[in-house]
Amino acid sequence: MAIVTARARSVASVSRAARRSYGLAREIPFIPCLVLAVLACVAIFAPVMAPYSQLDPVKPTQEQCQARYSMADCPYVDNVPPFWARQGSLDTPLGTDSLGRDVLSRLMYGARISLIVALVGTLAAGAIGTLLGILAGYLGKWWDQVIMRITDAWLTLPSLVFAILLSSVRGPGLWNVVFILALVFWSRYTRAVRGEVLSLRERDFVKLAEINGVRKLQIIFRHLLPNVMNTAMVLFSLQVGVAVIIEASLSFLGVGVPPPEPSWGLMMAQEREGLMVGNWWLAVFPGICITLLVLSANMLGDWLRVRLDPQLRNR
Amino acid sequence: MKRYILTRAFYSLITLWLLATIVFGMVRLTGDPVKMRGEVGADAAYLDQIRRNWGLDKPLHEQYISFIGNLLRGDFGHSFEKSLPVGTIYFERFPNSLKLGFSAFVISIVLGVPLGMLSAFKVNTWWDNFGKVIALLGLSIPGFFVGLVLIIIFGVELGWFPVLGKGPSAFVWGDPSTWVTFWFQDWHYLAMPAFALGWYFSGAMVRITRSGMLEVLGSDYIKLVRLKGVPERMVMAKHALKNSMIPILTLAGLNLLVMVNVAVVIEVIFNWPGVGQLLYDGLSNRDFPMVQGVVLMSGLMIVVLNFVIDALYGYVDPRIRLSR
Amino acid sequence: MSKGLLSLIASLVLTFAPVCAQEAAAQQILPGPLVKLDIKDAQVMTARGKPKAALTIAQHFALDPGWLDPLEHITALTQQHYDYLIHDAMIKPMPQGVYTYSLAERAEITADFTRAAFRLRPGLRFHDGHLLTSADVKWTYENYKGVHAKTFRDKLQRIEIVDDRTIIFHFKAPFVEFLELYNGATTGIGWIVPKHYYEKVGRDGFKARPLGAGPYKFVSQEAGVQMVFEAWEQYWRRSPATKTIVVKGIRDHATRLAGLQTGELDLAYGMTGKLLPRVMTDRNLRWDPNFTGPWWLMFPGYNEPDSPFHKKPVRQAVSLAINRQFLVRQETQGIGIVVGNWLSPENSDALKGDGTELPVPEHNPEKAKQLLAQAGFPNGFDFDWYVPFVPYFDMGERVLTDLRAVGIRGKLQVLEGPAFRAMIIRGRKGYTGNRTIVQNIDPRPGVRGSIGVYAVCGASASFVCEREIETLWSKHQESVNPDERDRLIKAIQRTLIEEYYFVPIYWNPFVAVVGPKVLPEGKAVSRYWDTVHAPYPWPWEVWEVKE
Repeated sequence: MAIVTARARSVASVSRAARRSYGLAREIPFIPCLVLAVLACVAIFAPVMAPYSQLDPVKPTQEQCQARYSMADCPYVDNVPPFWARQGSLDTPLGTDSLGRDVLSRLMYGARISLIVALVGTLAAGAIGTLLGILAGYLGKWWDQVIMRITDAWLTLPSLVFAILLSSVRGPGLWNVVFILALVFWSRYTRAVRGEVLSLRERDFVKLAEINGVRKLQIIFRHLLPNVMNTAMVLFSLQVGVAVIIEASLSFLGVGVPPPEPSWGLMMAQEREGLMVGNWWLAVFPGICITLLVLSANMLGDWLRVRLDPQLRNR
Repeated sequence: MKRYILTRAFYSLITLWLLATIVFGMVRLTGDPVKMRGEVGADAAYLDQIRRNWGLDKPLHEQYISFIGNLLRGDFGHSFEKSLPVGTIYFERFPNSLKLGFSAFVISIVLGVPLGMLSAFKVNTWWDNFGKVIALLGLSIPGFFVGLVLIIIFGVELGWFPVLGKGPSAFVWGDPSTWVTFWFQDWHYLAMPAFALGWYFSGAMVRITRSGMLEVLGSDYIKLVRLKGVPERMVMAKHALKNSMIPILTLAGLNLLVMVNVAVVIEVIFNWPGVGQLLYDGLSNRDFPMVQGVVLMSGLMIVVLNFVIDALYGYVDPRIRLSR
Repeated sequence: MSKGLLSLIASLVLTFAPVCAQEAAAQQILPGPLVKLDIKDAQVMTARGKPKAALTIAQHFALDPGWLDPLEHITALTQQHYDYLIHDAMIKPMPQGVYTYSLAERAEITADFTRAAFRLRPGLRFHDGHLLTSADVKWTYENYKGVHAKTFRDKLQRIEIVDDRTIIFHFKAPFVEFLELYNGATTGIGWIVPKHYYEKVGRDGFKARPLGAGPYKFVSQEAGVQMVFEAWEQYWRRSPATKTIVVKGIRDHATRLAGLQTGELDLAYGMTGKLLPRVMTDRNLRWDPNFTGPWWLMFPGYNEPDSPFHKKPVRQAVSLAINRQFLVRQETQGIGIVVGNWLSPENSDALKGDGTELPVPEHNPEKAKQLLAQAGFPNGFDFDWYVPFVPYFDMGERVLTDLRAVGIRGKLQVLEGPAFRAMIIRGRKGYTGNRTIVQNIDPRPGVRGSIGVYAVCGASASFVCEREIETLWSKHQESVNPDERDRLIKAIQRTLIEEYYFVPIYWNPFVAVVGPKVLPEGKAVSRYWDTVHAPYPWPWEVWEVKE
């Protein structure tokens, strides 16, 4: 008897721990949110905060020209290391790149590009995917078959195909990457949303609305959409990280954001050879920025998933 | 059951046909490969000859019909850039991708599952975050950077691993002696690329393991097992892990195919001769048959795998198994 | 007859027989006056021991099995990298000269350019032992489908096989460029393909397993990834010094450098740009500048009145604005050479751009601004696109920075390699608008080829349409007098440069790097790059590698 009560108490304590942990889970993860907020601020206020232009090289002083090239005058000084290194200067605290541009300013403007591309692209994908998922799940029959067959086919298409296609049709550009993200990732949402709508449409409140003669369109927007938002938002937060990495990979392969735009992915891709020559800061600083952004987005997404998942929440 | 299988098979065929049509259209929108092949100074007659060789002088619907017709016979055409049949080149390379993908898969499980279990058991403590961050780092650093750093540190500076390609061993379809030995040779060439790719996928593995285990840990079944007095370690290993393996394996299986087919960046960096490289080369050079071939082969594999999974679920679910 | 008389006759015969034989060999094949050809001898070398060790080469893009088939020769010089390995040509560029006897030991062209004759060396064979005869030369000519195939077929009247070693080509009309086009550097028609083998295995079979008469035999390949070749000791010129040559296709710069540093690669091309400083400081690596061709700028649509580049002072201002010395330092660590002609100085009939025949372009931003003001742009102007040669986007940025400093403002247009080529091959039609600057490079040899493509009205990649040049060019095409042709071709070059239709920048070093295994030690390794017009270090039979 004593053994049973002891075991029961330990089981109870585990449940309490589980409940408490889910209680803790309700708290917003602090560090990821802080990082994201900082990045967003930098992105918004870049024109004000950045010390130099992100496209033009920094005008060097005569001493710098003399020291590096033994010339009285030079258009720019390239590959200046960060300020703590021997040849660095506080003018350009994070150094300059191989075209003499200030790395810090480019990182700041790069925040804009990375965030816009990732957010807008993922948002567009989410909007398309969710809508199609709802249509497939709710309207059923013919809609369902066509949309799901297209989704299945689309899921197997690699993003590189879209990248080259858009680059050929429109010429390379920033918005190409946004289109690519939208075009490639909508299919991830459709399947999940459709599954949820399939179960939703059997629920009482939907049946009631149908009986009362509410139009299908209204049902979709008033009843279904708000209820699938949870799933969509979780997927969204997890896909943002993927989007940033895809943008970097496309830039590496030469079909992402075109130079001279200071996208972090492009900066890493173009300057990674600097690692072999000793100019480590050119690739590492954008890498740190990308890592922080993606990590924070992923951790936020994980927290959201726990928070919004009804199964886990109500335990 | 039979009806279920038949409808699933029918859907798979429709999906494949749609995929073929979409990719046919998309590659033809990417530009004119004849012009891109012709260097400055190539005479018009030479370019016309090439156009005829590649069948691009025929009207679009004729090209489409012969494309689908050839597909049904298993003929993917001749690569524009590599001048040999696409099927030959693809299957020459496919074992390489499989070797890389499978090794990366194993690494992602070895890295991800223990970290996921750690996170689940010490949920919301410092250990939880530690596990998550380590795995998520693989997702957060672009593959080309990881690859280059690995090459510099372990290849050039330390000299532990070779940096180029897959080594001399090759899977030769015509030579049965290589069929088994290929998988066990030249591991040191595989180490860095498989690690880079495996780390990337361990992020997803940690997530699945962690959430799967949390679900199971909170379930009544585990409460009962604990009540019965089973030691905690047994709870972990035998019961919790076993029950969360199904979703892990299902998603992992799909991931494996994706890995095999589109690990382009890793293949370019490490010069690993896989099908990802074929896709990249094909797209860069507007090699229509190659792109069509690679996309369709990967699509075929994914569709077949989905079909098999659906069929298995159908068998397991008595409602479907026992239906007409 | 006495013994003495017999021995006298014998010694006379022995003395004169070689002379007679030589005369037989030197016997003219064609009747009448011949064109004086400057074809160098082949320098048959005695082999030094058996071939040993392996050389691993990195090509900077994926490999195409189609390059193993000379019948479908491409335009670019890439295929010659493989031609020199497995095949051999009648005449081809070698360190001795642009035209060097290889399979042929004698070539003749009649003074009216209507007949061309070749005599093959005795005892030539393919790798499988089959004899190489004039039947193969004829078959190659008739089945050639590569670049310039139509020209060859249209001009040919008939092919006459005199004997197993002698062949005469009869043309319908004077074919002045025949030798230039037949030379192994320009087309594949001179690279002889075995008739018996090609007919047996077909196109695909030949590309999968080629057979030739060159210094190396084909061993194996993985399509796109690597090709393996082995020395063929019966090659007529010499037994190759290296036993195995492996060529790998490695796209990524950094990976190639890593391969060189770990010793997995012995030779890599195109190691310019950001990695060059590392190459230069690494004690284990040696490099050769390997100059290919000059960079130059062109202005599509300049002859339309609304184009900002319509007036010569504007184009001159563009040239004055570019700080070439600084550019050379940044892009090539100072190796590049600033030149005043868009044609490589290795071309014998190109004007020298080093100040002797054409001036070295100067850097004078003040004068540029004055010229712009005079031309009606006191505050500079905006143009649409600067299209750099892919993938030299950094260089494009640097030039744009220089231009911006004098007030000429534009944006960089980033394209993929194939897209860039597709645009430029359409000439004027490849570019919308007339406010574009195109940066190009073309390492192929041949002054006439370059002018015929880039400077003649309506030609494939031409943006230039000037009456003066057209007159000079048509006179050149009609003339059969070599001196007059030379004079005309130089006048065309002078016009193009002095009117700033082409703005040369610098002579590009396509730096090649070798690892420590390659012999000879030290800087002497540069001798492998002695062949003119060669972006790659052929011939291959002389390459020596340590065990």
